[in-house]
Formats: sequence, C-alpha cells, structure tokens
Amino acid sequence: MTNGITNDRRIIHKKSVWLTMWQSKYIYLMLLPLFVWLAVFCYAPMYGIILAFKTFKARLGILGSPWCGMDHFVRIFQTPDAVRAIRNTVTISLGRLIFEFPMGIILALMLTEMPGVKVKKVYQTIYTFPHFLSWIIVGSIINNFLSGNGAVNIWLGKLGVSKVNFLANSGLFRAILYITGNWKEMGWAAIIFMASIAGIDPSLYEAATVDGASRLKQIWHVTLPGILPTICVMLILQIGNMMNAGFDQIFNLYNDVVKPVSNILDTYIYNITFLAAPNYGFSTAVGLFKSVINFILLILANGLVNRLSGQKLFQ
Amino acid sequence: MSEINVKKHRRKWEGTEIFSVIMLTLLALLILVPFWNALVISLETAAAYGKAPFSWLPGEWTLENYEYLFMSSNALAMGYKGTLIVTSIGTLCGMSISVMAAYAFSRKFPGKKVLFGIMVFTMFFGGGLIPIYLQVKNMGLLNTYAAIILLSLISVYNIIIMKNGFDSIPPDLEEAAKIDGANDFVIFIRVMLPLQKPLIATFSLFTAVAYWNSWYWPLITLSGSQKTVLQLYLRAMISSISASEKGGVLTAAGAASTSSFSQGIKMASVFMTMLPIMCVYPFLQKYFVKGILVGAVKM
Repeated sequence: MTNGITNDRRIIHKKSVWLTMWQSKYIYLMLLPLFVWLAVFCYAPMYGIILAFKTFKARLGILGSPWCGMDHFVRIFQTPDAVRAIRNTVTISLGRLIFEFPMGIILALMLTEMPGVKVKKVYQTIYTFPHFLSWIIVGSIINNFLSGNGAVNIWLGKLGVSKVNFLANSGLFRAILYITGNWKEMGWAAIIFMASIAGIDPSLYEAATVDGASRLKQIWHVTLPGILPTICVMLILQIGNMMNAGFDQIFNLYNDVVKPVSNILDTYIYNITFLAAPNYGFSTAVGLFKSVINFILLILANGLVNRLSGQKLFQ
Repeated sequence: MSEINVKKHRRKWEGTEIFSVIMLTLLALLILVPFWNALVISLETAAAYGKAPFSWLPGEWTLENYEYLFMSSNALAMGYKGTLIVTSIGTLCGMSISVMAAYAFSRKFPGKKVLFGIMVFTMFFGGGLIPIYLQVKNMGLLNTYAAIILLSLISVYNIIIMKNGFDSIPPDLEEAAKIDGANDFVIFIRVMLPLQKPLIATFSLFTAVAYWNSWYWPLITLSGSQKTVLQLYLRAMISSISASEKGGVLTAAGAASTSSFSQGIKMASVFMTMLPIMCVYPFLQKYFVKGILVGAVKM
C-alpha cells in the first residue's frame, strides 16, 4: 500500500488486486459489522491487558497510569488466596477430566446398546434438557434437593443416616460439583459421541459377530477405536479449557464454608474485583495469567494429540 | 415386516442391553425427580410442606406461591421485560451479523485468510474480564440493556459452523446468479439464505437460549440500576428469601398471612424463569441436536 511504485509489473499486479478487492466490495461490506464488533469488544480490550503491568489510577486512565512491571504477577504468588485459587482450579479441572469427561462416552455407549427407538428419543430429551437451563436455575433446584429438608436427606433419614449438609461440607463439595456437573451436561456431551458411533462402518460389527465377539468385546474392539478421533478432539477442547474450572456452576453453588476447596481463579477474580475495593491492575494480571496458561495448554494438547493419533483441532 | 418384528421380539436380550436399560431408566429418574420435587413444592401449602418436605404429590394444592410472585412486586414482570428485550434484539442483530459474515467467509476474496485468522484468534485469547468491563464502562453502557446485548452478540464458533454450511452449497448456483447480473449481496439474500434456513433457525435457537440464560454480564453491568433480567431476578429472589428465612418459615413481608412459604416461593420463581424453555424444548430438541452435530461432523 506504499506510494513508491517503481516498476510496471508491480503496477499491473497491484491493479488486479485492487480490482478483485473492488469486485468483492459487497463481501467486505458484509464482514464490516463483525469486524467492528471484534475491534470494540475483543481487540480493544486486549489493549487493556497492559493494565496488568500498571498501577491503575482511574483519574489517569489506562494509558496515563504508571507502569509497575511484573509486580502484580509476583504478588499473585505471594497471595495465599490466589495460590489456593490456582491449585483449586487445576484440581477441579483434573477431577472433571476423570469424573465427568468419560461419562458422556459411557452414556453414549449405553444409549447405542439400548433397544427401542422411541424410548431412546424420550430418554435423550430428558438427559439433554438441563443443558439448556442456567446454573442459577439448576443451582436452585439442586440446593432444594440437597438441603436439610431436601429429598436426599429425607431418604437418608429413612435409612437411618443422620442429616448431611451436602453443600456446606468441604469434604463432599468437589464430589458434588462433579455429580451435578454430570447431571446437567452428560446428556449433551453424549450426543457427539453417539453421532460418532453411528458413523462406524456396520460391516466391522458383522465381522466381529462372525468371529464370535461378545457385545462387550465389540464395544472394546470396534466401537471405542472407532470413536477415538472424536474422543481426542473433545479431550483437546477440555484440556484447553483447564483454567476454566466451571465458574457458573461453582459461583451458584458455593458458600463461605466450602470456599477454601472451591474458590477457583474465576470466582477469585470476581470476588476481588466486584466485592472488594478493586485493584484493576492486579485483577487483570490474574486474568492474563489464566488466559496465557490456557492458550499454552491448548497448543500443547493439540500437539500431543496430533502426535498420538493424527487428529488436529487447529493448524 | 411383521415377521422381522416377531423375530426381534423373541430374540434373547443381551446382557449389555439389560444393563443399559436399567441404568438409563435410573438416570432418567435421577434427572426428573429433582424437577418434579421442585414443582410439587411450588404447588403446595406451607402446612403441607411442613408436614412432609418431600412428597410425590402436593399434600394440599395451592397457587399462592405463584400469586406471591405476581402480587408482591413487579420484579417478575421487569425481569421478563428485560429478558425479552435482550433476547429478541440480541438474537436478531447477532444472527444477522453472523450469517452475513459466515456467507462472506465462504466466498473467495483477497485477504480472506488474514481476516479469518483475526476472527479465530479471539476464540483462543481475550482481554479478560476487567479490560472488557472497563471498555463497557468507558462507552457509557453500564446499566443499559445494550451492554448485555453487545457483549454476547457474536459467537465465532457459530460463524465457523455456518460458514461450513455455506461452503457445502455447490458453486454453480452462485455462478448462475452472477451471470444474471446479481451482486454478492443479492445472491446472499435471494439464493443463499433460503437454502440455509434450517441451519439459521437452529443457530437462532442457540443464540436465543444463550441470551435467555445469560446472567453474568447482567450481574456485572446492571448492578446499579432498576433494570433486571429474569435470571438476575431469580438470583435476587433466592438470596433475599434465604437471608430472611428462619428455620424454613418465611418472614418476608406480605407472605406472613398467606399459605405461601419461602421454599415454595423459591421453587415457583425457578419455574417462572424456566417456563418458556420447558414448554418449547421437547418440540425443538431435534433442532438443537442437529446444530451440535453440524459442528461435530466438521471437526
């Protein structure tokens, strides 16, 4: 786009580019609203990231505030609550990988085994329904179900077990996160795996039957290898999301008693920004720390899975 | 046909099938019972709840918990108003921008790769909560519905999937229209949009549900005003009742003389918030499933 054009061939080439661009004017016009939005709500805030390296003074603005180097990042590791939030985030994410991720696959396997097309459809509608509700709604329903007067405690009472305060019990809270996480999302997660199972070549099953393989053996030797690529892709997504340990769920279920085991980075950022005297610089630094680790994890996971199976999420 | 059916019927059930049927039925119950339990509580009287906090049918039927929601204040109406504004305008604007962009990205034009990359990058990296919040604040959008609409306007993921949908349309159609002298925009409106109606309907549903359920940005951006949305209304309702209840008996003003009670009112507000989704979901479920599968196949 410089003015110093010196040779003819370049002029011709340039003209043709300008010409095709002119011919595509409606295409650019159609992209314009999207890119205005991206500029204002995605890229402009990225410039705000420099706050992580500044001591924010509202009256000086983002640009005018003085630099403070890596101070905020050093402080993250000197703040016990922040360190605990990092540890909780990783622990809960790993827990989800172990206790939640496989459930979608298992549910899909069971749904494929189940005979009866109509009943299956009804069941699937039931399983996927909670996915479309917010965690505020689901949290309220779970709270009601697990509370002191709730159904679970009443049933336990009939068995002679004394009341358990499920949501205010540090020992149980993470387990409850995984269980309720499954309750809400496993049906939805199963859909992708079911589609993947449906795409497996039926002749493989016929061959396995001829060889005398039992249904369980068929699942192990035909179905699971068949959906391995899908499992890998979903795993990448999950690992790339490691630093997001489920803000919506935790925010709507936790309380002061279980905070030490469930305060993750996102809840921590919310609490220090909106419930206390905010230090925008520090909050931004914690957020940036989180995004950068997430970004690195996504790239690492992609490379790893690529090496293992040849599947790739993005180039 | 009937012979096959008979054969199928008589065949021995596999162990895995029996196991699946039992487990899946239990799971379906496990998901339904908490909803049912909440519904029963919202429809019974304080006395009945006091006698048996869990029952399969209301001990004594009443609609007073729901009446309380409508009579005590106009908060529920305000919530519905806010949510309807945000959902309708947000879905309309967001989908218009997304569909146009998806179509544009399915064409060939100079700079496509770069622009696509600029868009995709935002999926993996963002400014984070505080810079976005400050941006909204600087634009003077705090305490407006516009902030909620704008912040959730675009889903890059949806655009990519819809682009794949447009990619799958054979180019002959477009060329034919071009020869007839139509420009890209006319082709988009007259030729491409009608072909992609099912896909657009599916993603409009996703967008609408996302707006209906959004609570995080409303919580942050509407904190200092009378404006509210349904999800915030529910949150405020639950926490204010929880704060004012003592031993499960409601002491909130206005409810003392009736047979409505705290847990019943809470559950009634839950159902008022999820009512539209509950009514619509069973009939539209297949579209939602289609939507996620379009994406999955391309992955």
